[in-house]
Amino acid sequence: MPDAFVEMKAVTRRFGETVAVDGLDLEIPAGLIVGFIGPSGAGKTTTVRLLTGALSPSSGTVRVLGEDPRRLTRRSRARIGYMPQLPSVNPELSADENVDFAASLFGLVWPRRRRRVGEILELVGLGSVRRRRAGQLSGGMRRRVELASALVHDPDLAFLDEPTAGLDPILRRVIWGELHRRRALGRTILVTTQHVDEAAECDLVVLITEGRAVAVSSPDDLRRAASGGDVVEVETRLPFDPFGLGDIPGLLRVDRTGPRAFRAIVEDAGRVTPALTGALAAAGVEVGSAREWRPTFDAVFATLVDRARSDPSVAPPPATTGPDGARVEGPTPR
Amino acid sequence: MIILQVFTRLLAFVGKEVVEIARRPGAVAVLVLGPFLVVLLFGLGYQGYRGSLSVIVFVPPTSGLPTDAGTYLQLGSLVDVRLVTTDEAVAEAALRDRQADLLIRMPDHLQATLLGGEQAVVAVETNIENPQQIGLAQVLAAQVSETLNRDVIRTIAARLQVQSGLTLPMPPEVIAQPTRYSLSSVAPTAPGIIPFFGPAVLMLVLQHFAVTLLGLSLVREKSGGMLELFRLSPISSGEIIVGKLAAFGVIGAVIAGLSTGLLVAGFGVPVAGGALQVIGILALVLVASLGLGLVVALASDSERTAIQLSSLLLLASILFSGFILPVNEFSPPVRALAYLLPVTHGISLLQDSMLFGSVPSPAPVMALGTIAAVTIVLGWLLLRRAMRPLKG
Repeated sequence: MPDAFVEMKAVTRRFGETVAVDGLDLEIPAGLIVGFIGPSGAGKTTTVRLLTGALSPSSGTVRVLGEDPRRLTRRSRARIGYMPQLPSVNPELSADENVDFAASLFGLVWPRRRRRVGEILELVGLGSVRRRRAGQLSGGMRRRVELASALVHDPDLAFLDEPTAGLDPILRRVIWGELHRRRALGRTILVTTQHVDEAAECDLVVLITEGRAVAVSSPDDLRRAASGGDVVEVETRLPFDPFGLGDIPGLLRVDRTGPRAFRAIVEDAGRVTPALTGALAAAGVEVGSAREWRPTFDAVFATLVDRARSDPSVAPPPATTGPDGARVEGPTPR
Repeated sequence: MIILQVFTRLLAFVGKEVVEIARRPGAVAVLVLGPFLVVLLFGLGYQGYRGSLSVIVFVPPTSGLPTDAGTYLQLGSLVDVRLVTTDEAVAEAALRDRQADLLIRMPDHLQATLLGGEQAVVAVETNIENPQQIGLAQVLAAQVSETLNRDVIRTIAARLQVQSGLTLPMPPEVIAQPTRYSLSSVAPTAPGIIPFFGPAVLMLVLQHFAVTLLGLSLVREKSGGMLELFRLSPISSGEIIVGKLAAFGVIGAVIAGLSTGLLVAGFGVPVAGGALQVIGILALVLVASLGLGLVVALASDSERTAIQLSSLLLLASILFSGFILPVNEFSPPVRALAYLLPVTHGISLLQDSMLFGSVPSPAPVMALGTIAAVTIVLGWLLLRRAMRPLKG
């Protein structure tokens, strides 16, 4: 068993003059949900297609399950599930026939296949329409049929290319519920999405724009990276100048947001907030509220992307530590 | 377990394709009823070749020949006499106005010309562009000339007998036409339009459906996301090829079975070589056609291209396979092209088997086997290439 399920080293992929993926480094251990997030055309699908072996890198190396994905052994392929961005559902077949065909490709033998098809369709909420032809299903249902087809053989590693594209929030929640359930079973899931807020569902986020990974980190670390630390939002009863707060251990800087409000950028909100409110009380300032402020991922990503665009030489968030102590590499500084 | 898994994958393709076709009533109608209707229409509608030409006969007033239309109705079976006239201008105008295909000018002063020791000329003028009809006009001119010769000889012989009192050794009719032909067939079955063309129609239908159905199915999977799924699943390109061949082999067998049943039971086409031989030939043609379908699919980048290619193949098959014109009438390069088509060998084999009861040469069987092997291997290589990662 390799240490990393997925590994990319200095991977670049060009299409003529266009650089679709630019010097990507990534090392993903088992048991994580990894989200490739970025705007349309950022290079997410190209990254997934490099990982599935559909594309050769122009330079760099890619390893999946310890092998070159272009030449995966049959045994390794049996451990992988894939949901491509292009529609792969057959409109003439019913939902369960589509999933049954996918299960057959992976050699699932009847009656186990029949049982698994029923289970997975229930899990993605399609049990009641399993006999309906895919062509008569809604777009969201068809997408879930494709998801069920990718997961029916219970793969150790799944590549899901925009599984929530075009779905309403309720359906997206159903899909993420299933992905979390699988992660809890120790499976690894690599998922691309244009929905920035879905970063919160991932253990690790790879923020891609213009072919570059501008950030590779956990969602919380990304927030910190965007703000420069944790953010504590403070409201006082009376106008107050926060710049005279003096030295408080762990306080990095303050931003005034109004006559009675400011944001304190701190190393660790849990540790610094009591010290901050204590210092305010000591200064005779009555605090109305002091709570951690979590910027939206839209704001976080906009900040990180703008930062990367304005100065490409600035290294994105450095190597960090993912869930379960897994080491995750950030992109190589340029 | 591995064998069971391989078998599961192959069956998956068979099930998928059969269900997919069965789910589309239009497709079922085209697939099953279509060939039935084509064969039925052909059987009911084809009446054989009617190669007659419409004719204007110009008889110069001084030719010494009769000018009544009835005389010239005997010119031959290929002739449809529209007008007999002694007015040359009328005859020429009628030809120009395309009131008839041919103008036959009877020789002027026939008797004087012959007595002068010269050949008289029957001039035939045409106003047609169809090369087949031009060929027919040549045959007709020869036939008219021969008929005229016969009449002249008979007339001269009769006059000699009357005027000189000679006793000729045989009647003037026998002198004029010493021999006549008699045609009989030793073929095991009576020659007929349906028995001869029926197997050819069946072969054409079978090849076209095999190429089109398999081609479109594979192109759809290529242009959608299925091929990427196949690439990342444990199925091999060889298993995909075998699965596709098995799936469309089953569908093709149903089409072939129903169409052959119609030919035999509905139109009385004999099965002189026995059912097993016919089944073997149909199976060979089906596999070779499916191989061709693989190549068409993998050489096409879209459904539109695949449809265009299969239409071109159908056109080439109709023209070059021996369906309309005998293959040996083509130049060697075109003949070589014709022999690349499964239907060319299929028509010859099925006609020999069904009508004569035997296949005189193993060459068409070997050719079909070679086409099947080459196209399937080529299809497999093309599929492997299509599934290969795109280079950076």
